[in-house]
Amino acid sequence: MGPSGSGKSTLLGLLAGLDSPTSGSIVLDGEEIGGLSEDRMAGVRGRKIGFVFQSYNLIPTLTAEENVLLPFELSGGNGGGRERARELLRMVGVLDRADHYPVQLSGGEQQRVALARAFIVSPPILLADEPTGNLDTVNGQRILELLIEMNRREQTTLVLVTHDVALAAHADRIIMLRDGRIVSDERKA
Amino acid sequence: MTGDLSWRTAIRIAWREARASTVKFAFVILAVAVGVGALTGVRGFSRAFHSMLIREARTLIASDLSVRTFAIATPDQDAVMNRLASRGVDHTWITETISMAAVEGKPPVLVSVKAVDPAKYPYYGSLRLDPDAPLTSVLTRDTVAASDDLLLRLGLSPGSTIRLGGQPFRLIGTIVNEPDRMSGSLNVGPRLLITRDGLERAGLMLPGSRAAERYLFRIPPTTNVEEVRTSLKTAFPESMIADFRQAHPAIESGLRQATTFLSLVSLISLIVGALGVATAIRAHLDQRLDSIAVMKCLGARSAQIMRIYVIQTVVLALIGSTLGIAVGLLVEAVFPSLIAKYFNVRPGIQLDWVPAAQGIGIGLLTSLLFTVPPLLGIRRVRPSLIFRREMAEAKPSWRERIKQGRPAMISGAALLIALGLIAGSLTSAPPREAFRIGGYFVVAVVVSLAALSAVAFVLLRSLRRLSRHLAGFPMAIRHGIANLYRPGNHAEAILVALGVGVMFTLLVYVVQRGVIGEMMRTAPPGMPNVFLLDVKQADRQPVLDLIAAQKGIEKGPDLISTVSAKLATINGQALSNDKTKGFARRFLYTRAVAAVEGKPPYADVLNGAWWTASGGPSVCASEDAVRTLKLKPGDQINWTVGGRSIPTRLACVVRIDPIHLMGRLDFLFDERLLRGFPVISYASVRVEPKSVAPLQLAMYQKFPTVTVMNVADVLRIIQEVVDQISIEVRFISAFAILAGIIILASSVAGTRFRRIREVVILKTLGATRARIAGIFSVEFLILGAVAGIMGSLLAMAFGAIVIKRLLKADPHFEPAVYATAIVATALLANVAGWLASFRILGQKPLQVLRDE
Repeated sequence: MGPSGSGKSTLLGLLAGLDSPTSGSIVLDGEEIGGLSEDRMAGVRGRKIGFVFQSYNLIPTLTAEENVLLPFELSGGNGGGRERARELLRMVGVLDRADHYPVQLSGGEQQRVALARAFIVSPPILLADEPTGNLDTVNGQRILELLIEMNRREQTTLVLVTHDVALAAHADRIIMLRDGRIVSDERKA
Repeated sequence: MTGDLSWRTAIRIAWREARASTVKFAFVILAVAVGVGALTGVRGFSRAFHSMLIREARTLIASDLSVRTFAIATPDQDAVMNRLASRGVDHTWITETISMAAVEGKPPVLVSVKAVDPAKYPYYGSLRLDPDAPLTSVLTRDTVAASDDLLLRLGLSPGSTIRLGGQPFRLIGTIVNEPDRMSGSLNVGPRLLITRDGLERAGLMLPGSRAAERYLFRIPPTTNVEEVRTSLKTAFPESMIADFRQAHPAIESGLRQATTFLSLVSLISLIVGALGVATAIRAHLDQRLDSIAVMKCLGARSAQIMRIYVIQTVVLALIGSTLGIAVGLLVEAVFPSLIAKYFNVRPGIQLDWVPAAQGIGIGLLTSLLFTVPPLLGIRRVRPSLIFRREMAEAKPSWRERIKQGRPAMISGAALLIALGLIAGSLTSAPPREAFRIGGYFVVAVVVSLAALSAVAFVLLRSLRRLSRHLAGFPMAIRHGIANLYRPGNHAEAILVALGVGVMFTLLVYVVQRGVIGEMMRTAPPGMPNVFLLDVKQADRQPVLDLIAAQKGIEKGPDLISTVSAKLATINGQALSNDKTKGFARRFLYTRAVAAVEGKPPYADVLNGAWWTASGGPSVCASEDAVRTLKLKPGDQINWTVGGRSIPTRLACVVRIDPIHLMGRLDFLFDERLLRGFPVISYASVRVEPKSVAPLQLAMYQKFPTVTVMNVADVLRIIQEVVDQISIEVRFISAFAILAGIIILASSVAGTRFRRIREVVILKTLGATRARIAGIFSVEFLILGAVAGIMGSLLAMAFGAIVIKRLLKADPHFEPAVYATAIVATALLANVAGWLASFRILGQKPLQVLRDE
């Protein structure tokens, strides 16, 4: 958690290997990822990290189902992907919109598709950057519930960036950032 | 924002928006520049060529005035020239003909012979030889100079002996420069320069021989040129006269036609460029919907907002057109080398303001016209858009859509009328003809664009449908296809723009191949493949005997006798020079008519009856002549032959199998009527290809003045000319492909931000660079391949129509040509796509994701 400009998204990007640290190191599953090449890092992300963005970031030229399938294909999976994608779409409540393109979906629906996409390869880590930031309260609440429910079901480590205190209340551990520094690190009992 | 949006504000907004889309607009500028460049290049070269024709008019006709005719001067005409000579108007006589040249041990070669008087020729310009020497001292009755291709073919070098008409001549060297080369006639095969005495010695010329005679005049400065011209026109009514005050009429006429045709081809490139402007502005407006809605919320009217985008279009078109002038100079620089084989001219490159201004004007006008329909879309942007962006608008009914589309339809009609007027203005024809050509051009453009749009629509829909069944295909292919439907991609517009260029360039090639293929196919077994020209009356039987004794004769010989005659009157009425048009004009001049003893076996009488001995002086005419001259059996036709008047009656209408030599002649005379006049015979024969050279050699040894023309050689020459014309047209039409490719690049650049976003999302989700590169490559390759398929399909269809309707031949499908075109277009599109996606793969995801 932290105010705008405190470094939340930068930290999340570094954890995902989307950027390289100017100093220090990032260790994921015992592997130093700071020095990996771009393509090797992409491979690591494909296998181990799922993403949920504030602005959904669906590929506009792919249908909802195809968007969900994308990480599965990128990680080299074959067979059973389509069934899993449809199962996830059913879980997030947009199976009836599986053949729709992002432009044909509302914001809430797009974020549900993004959630399904994040879980398709059952990543051990899920990074979520203000996932309810672009949604109204009702839709935001529903997405949050889905996120937590799926996180529990899939046994995923969820790293959530937010400045919403209510949202943070669901976390086991809360790290507060300010001006690029950690100012507190609370663990729930 | 109430009241008026000032021009100043409009300019400021236009400038800032354009600055944010620099790359996309840079491609648009290039697309306009390419179209304008082709147009100004063609017209600039044409004007420079025209200026050169006037500037160098004396050199190009090697005199102050030249008279060209196809008959030797009569005593009366000689008298006129002698009278002029007594007033100081000097003249010299040039004869151009074709004949056979030979060296020991090799088959003779068909050559163009030009006989001159070296003491006088040329009056202007210089005839240069290699080794260099004054013509007067080296060209004598025993020597010749030749073009370098003859030296190559016969293995000659200066000093070698060459035989012409059986007589030996010493070769003095090669012809490096011949000032009046362009205004000469009968340019078939290598060239041979000889003196008039030498021509006499070779014995090539017989009364009635096929030859062009040119009389060159040097007129003293004090003599009135018009007066000289008038007296010569009166003396030589059938001649073509050119003087130094004007460009050479034959070259000028060819230049005008070529300029009109190539200008219209260039206009197609410009239309493609304008389509690019329209597509870019449409994409730009799509991205500016929010700003437009906000401005409307603040009180701006549609017309005021349109002002911003009109300014942008005008500036883009102006910059593009100005850059096009530089491209045009490059085209002008390249053009001389494309026509160097036939016209060795370097008119020089200089900025000519007339074509430049014309190019800017047409570039600006065309771009603006094409941008009107997308600009009208501004009227439909609702201010409420900013409040309910997420909601899809209800699709209006058909009636509503037609109503909404009415202004676009009206502007479209205006666009077509304006395009027709522009096309007409490029023709330099009289207004009625210009309107007609402009109309045809617009119809052709509309049909082509409509056909291309329809094919693009069908192909894109089919691909989309197909993509749903490609689950087992590699991801790059599925995603590459999906990318074609990316918002703002305008795949259909790109396909149409690229397809126009491919279609047109391919169409030129297909028709070229059709013409050549038709020539080859119309020489089927049984058709004569060797022609014997200028057989003297006395040699007729010996020539036939010699042919009969040769090996490899498959059919023939077919021998006909001709006399030169001029049609004087039909039923007492002379043919009017003004009213006789098109092909009928050939009847205004002295032409060969056939002299036959009886009905040839291959002539069928269609109407009337073949003449009888008691039927009085009679002729029969071909179907074509009867149709053209509106004749019927019984008509009285009077002729002038060798200065004498011969009255005849039309006895019958005949149809002659066109494979016979007689098929080329329009009138068949009773030979008794033509007795006493100079008769020249022609023969045709079908010979095994390997026996042609021995026949030429045998014929040359016994009858050296008889020209033996091998059809294969003539076809090769025609093929070279057709190829040459095709190269020039394809050079200009390739600009349309270039413009199409630039539009593709522009569209790719226009979707750069969307692509970057996709790249980073894909990277974030685990895609490698190679995988993303594969997806984009498939997208570009498919775009190019589909454009190639569209262009090929339509070139095939239009080519078949042209070949069937105009050439009356059966089109032949050549899959390799179309496959090459499709592959080449796909590769070209891939290169252009990646050039416009420069550095897109290297984007750091975090940077982009944070900027959202």
